[in-house]
Amino acid sequence: MTNLTSTDFEPIRHAQEIQGISRPSLSYWRDAWIRLKANKRAVSSLFLVIGLLLFTIVGPIVWNVDPALQDLDQVGQPPGSGRLAVIVNEYEPWAGESEAIGTGLRLAENATTMAVRLKWDNLSSAVGYRIYRNIFPVGPERAYGIPLAEYFDNTVLYFEDRLDLKPRRYYYSVVPIDATGILLDGYQTITVDVLRVTTLAEVESQGLSAANINLEIGDSVNLALHPLGTDYLGRDMLARLMAGARVSLFIGIGAPCLFILFGIVYGSIAGFLGGRIDQIMMRFADFVVALPFLLFMILFKIAFGIGPGESGIFPMLVALVILMWPATARLVRGQILQIREQGYIGASRLLGAKTNYLILRHMLPNTLGVVLVTITFAIPGAIFIEAFLSFIGMGVAPPTPSWGSMSNEGIKNMLTSPHELILPAILISVTVLAFNLLGDGLRDALDARLRNQE
Amino acid sequence: MNRNGSNGGSAARSLALYAAYVLLAVAILIYILAFFAGNTGIAINGGAINEERNSITIALSEEPPQLDSTRSTDAVSFVVLAHTMEGLIAYDQNDQLTPGAAERWEIRDDGATFWIREEATWSDGQPVTAHDFEFAWKRVLDPDTAAQYAFILYPIKNAEAVNQGDLPKEMLGVRAVTDLVLEVDFERPTPYFDKLVAFNTYFPLREDFFESTNGRYGADAAMLLSNGPYILTEWVHGASMVWEKNPYYWNSEKGLLDEIVTAYITNDANANLNLFKDGQIVQTGLTAPMLPTAMEQRWQIDRFMDGTLFFLEFNHREDRVTDNLNFRKALYFAQDPSELVYKVLKEASYLPAESLFPIWIQGLQGAFRKEYPLPKHSLDLEKAREYLDLARQELGLEDFPPIILLTGDSSLSLLAAEYYQELYKKNLGLELRIDAQIFKQRLAKMTSGDFDIVMAGWGPDYFDALTFGDLFASWNLNNRGRYQSEEMDNLVRTAQSELDPQKRMDAFGSIQELINSDVVIIPMYERGVSFVVDPRLKGFKRRSVGPQVDYNYAYIDSSQN
Repeated sequence: MTNLTSTDFEPIRHAQEIQGISRPSLSYWRDAWIRLKANKRAVSSLFLVIGLLLFTIVGPIVWNVDPALQDLDQVGQPPGSGRLAVIVNEYEPWAGESEAIGTGLRLAENATTMAVRLKWDNLSSAVGYRIYRNIFPVGPERAYGIPLAEYFDNTVLYFEDRLDLKPRRYYYSVVPIDATGILLDGYQTITVDVLRVTTLAEVESQGLSAANINLEIGDSVNLALHPLGTDYLGRDMLARLMAGARVSLFIGIGAPCLFILFGIVYGSIAGFLGGRIDQIMMRFADFVVALPFLLFMILFKIAFGIGPGESGIFPMLVALVILMWPATARLVRGQILQIREQGYIGASRLLGAKTNYLILRHMLPNTLGVVLVTITFAIPGAIFIEAFLSFIGMGVAPPTPSWGSMSNEGIKNMLTSPHELILPAILISVTVLAFNLLGDGLRDALDARLRNQE
Repeated sequence: MNRNGSNGGSAARSLALYAAYVLLAVAILIYILAFFAGNTGIAINGGAINEERNSITIALSEEPPQLDSTRSTDAVSFVVLAHTMEGLIAYDQNDQLTPGAAERWEIRDDGATFWIREEATWSDGQPVTAHDFEFAWKRVLDPDTAAQYAFILYPIKNAEAVNQGDLPKEMLGVRAVTDLVLEVDFERPTPYFDKLVAFNTYFPLREDFFESTNGRYGADAAMLLSNGPYILTEWVHGASMVWEKNPYYWNSEKGLLDEIVTAYITNDANANLNLFKDGQIVQTGLTAPMLPTAMEQRWQIDRFMDGTLFFLEFNHREDRVTDNLNFRKALYFAQDPSELVYKVLKEASYLPAESLFPIWIQGLQGAFRKEYPLPKHSLDLEKAREYLDLARQELGLEDFPPIILLTGDSSLSLLAAEYYQELYKKNLGLELRIDAQIFKQRLAKMTSGDFDIVMAGWGPDYFDALTFGDLFASWNLNNRGRYQSEEMDNLVRTAQSELDPQKRMDAFGSIQELINSDVVIIPMYERGVSFVVDPRLKGFKRRSVGPQVDYNYAYIDSSQN
């Protein structure tokens, strides 16, 4: 026998830890967040989405301009155009009297954006005159430009042009005509540089100058500022884009949240109960998928008693919720069916877990990843539907703007003022892209199978 | 390594080869498809003007619903019918009346006689007779035909009763005395009957041909019989038409082209502009946003006032706030049509409107509006607000309910509607709701009175002040706002039957004043059109009365090349 001493019975000292947790334990969500942060595209789109929300919510507080206000002195102005104007007297009708001397086609007084007044001398051959305006020189092909007026009366030797005058150079021509309106030889032309003007009444009503400054005729003043220009009725584009964002994002975020919530409830019930009830519920979902969206939009609009000139946004929301939930319901049902058969569910059930606990603790949290991804992809879809419906005139009622209706109006003036179309179109594209990229990033971050592949 | 490299190289090469094959296949497919597409329907001859064939290519804005002259109501049908048909009297190039199928006529207080020319021939070679007119007019007034333009025949004796079904067709005051003499009795003196006769609804129709079509008259090219300068020879529904010269037509001054091809049916103004730019059609209209392009292309832009007046018409039914005169006056003084035209619509050929009677209406010697001038209207906000306060007291309202502004769905009418919405909100604090509807629906709502204010337009049917003057008579079905006034009815009756021209014009002057003082309407603008025509085409005409575009006198001038 070996001699045993008390030292033999001392506990073994703990060996140096070989394995240990070197990093703090990570929850699923924390891990996902880290992975999302590593994804540059997703992060920048997240910032874009936050910026968009600020634009919509804080924007109108900072840029407090009525989006319906019409500034008819600055119609269709592109961003960053000049706005210095000279104050002149109020407009008064003119009947051709003038002290301007000279011969040939001449200006009766200084040309302004309020009116260009022309005078000329009678030609014996003429029965009447036709007055043209061009933005290019007339040239040898005698392209006189836009015919503004025609008088079959050779005693009318003056003309006042007030049509959409811009502060730029115009080329006016007067062409004699015969009794049937045929152009004769002997046209006269004049180059006119138009000055931007405004009136004291206009300055006062728009509050263009500080109250303590006394402006007089002949002084210069800056017209109202429109950072992103104005639309075809002189309304501020920035204010309209902000107001439009409210409508677009209300539909874009409100509708997906509601129909996805409904889809989760419906899908998890069907998936959990299974069997006959599941079959019936999913066939009903198929039935809803088959309903034509546009037709139902129109029906809802009527069913809600939306009268003429009232906004169709609320029925649009309801229609979206009622018609778009089946996709989410199917997805969630599939997930639940899969999770139901997992080992840990069986174990939990054996340990005596109740149905409620099973659903809330084990099943729903495991579907959340899928749901979150669905939401981020549903948002751009809903924004696009809103834009489309407003584009075809089923959405907002004027003067309320939405990005879709603004694009619709902008497309009509695409050739003359492209910014009216480009700005809302850019916002729609950027928003849709941002939400799509964010959704893409979220899917990557939340997919458990991708976790250990780094 | 080496193998890998060469493998990669050959893979890239074969990939490039595949791409080339695919591209080639696609190109061939496109050509084959284009070839078949070119063979379907009417071969588009390529080019606005074909001098060899003496033919031109045009575009129509819409497909005519049908080409039965007794039933057609739309502008496009009128355009086609003006080329394929001819009435007793026609308009010449200067919009003056000129003999058509009738070589002379006589209008009396109690009736009229038309002597039809012997040379007038249908496109199948048979002569046009007085019976054809008698048959056509009786058909228009037959209640079973349900012709919307039947009212334009009401000056004929018993016409209204026949149209209502109260009298048999035989009682209508029109009869063919011989093959070449047509006798008409009047219900009341109608000194402007010659102008009416030039209208589409008065065109002839041959009974035996009509019966042979089994009720499909005007539905197809083969179901038409023409007596005008052109014959409709091909009609591919929804796509194209061909009008060919009518060899039997009597007048050598009209129908100078051998063929007019309607290769395009589209109302997209931009599409028409591009077709013109590419030299595919001979003329096109220009809207305001297109004018810079037109100036850049250095085209010779032309203009034309088409005679149509647009106005805000109030609903005068009793349950509406717009029935209140002071309310209407407030709205009238808070607006200025020149701002609408010059700053909002920006159409170079439009004219701010001042009166119910457009500027081109003729008075006794000169222009009606010079002989009966209205006081100049100007924006007066103080006056407007005073009237609004008066209206508020009279109606006993704290706030006015939202006003429904019924309008069309074209971009121009929406533009005007949005302008008025903000204008009345800013100037009077009123809330306007825009109800934009397609034409048919708007008409239905106008008829049922489902509006407060409607943006309406009225184009002339004949060259006489009465075409506008009788619009607000209480019995006129086109008086959609149901304006009723004893004074107006009396004035319209005078204008309809007074034989003394001075008294008749005075009646129109009083109608104009009454419309203005009662603010029955707010005039908006008189419409015009800016357009360009291929310089090689001469004699093309736009009209305010009759067809909007008229190629009857058009010919190709080859010296313009």
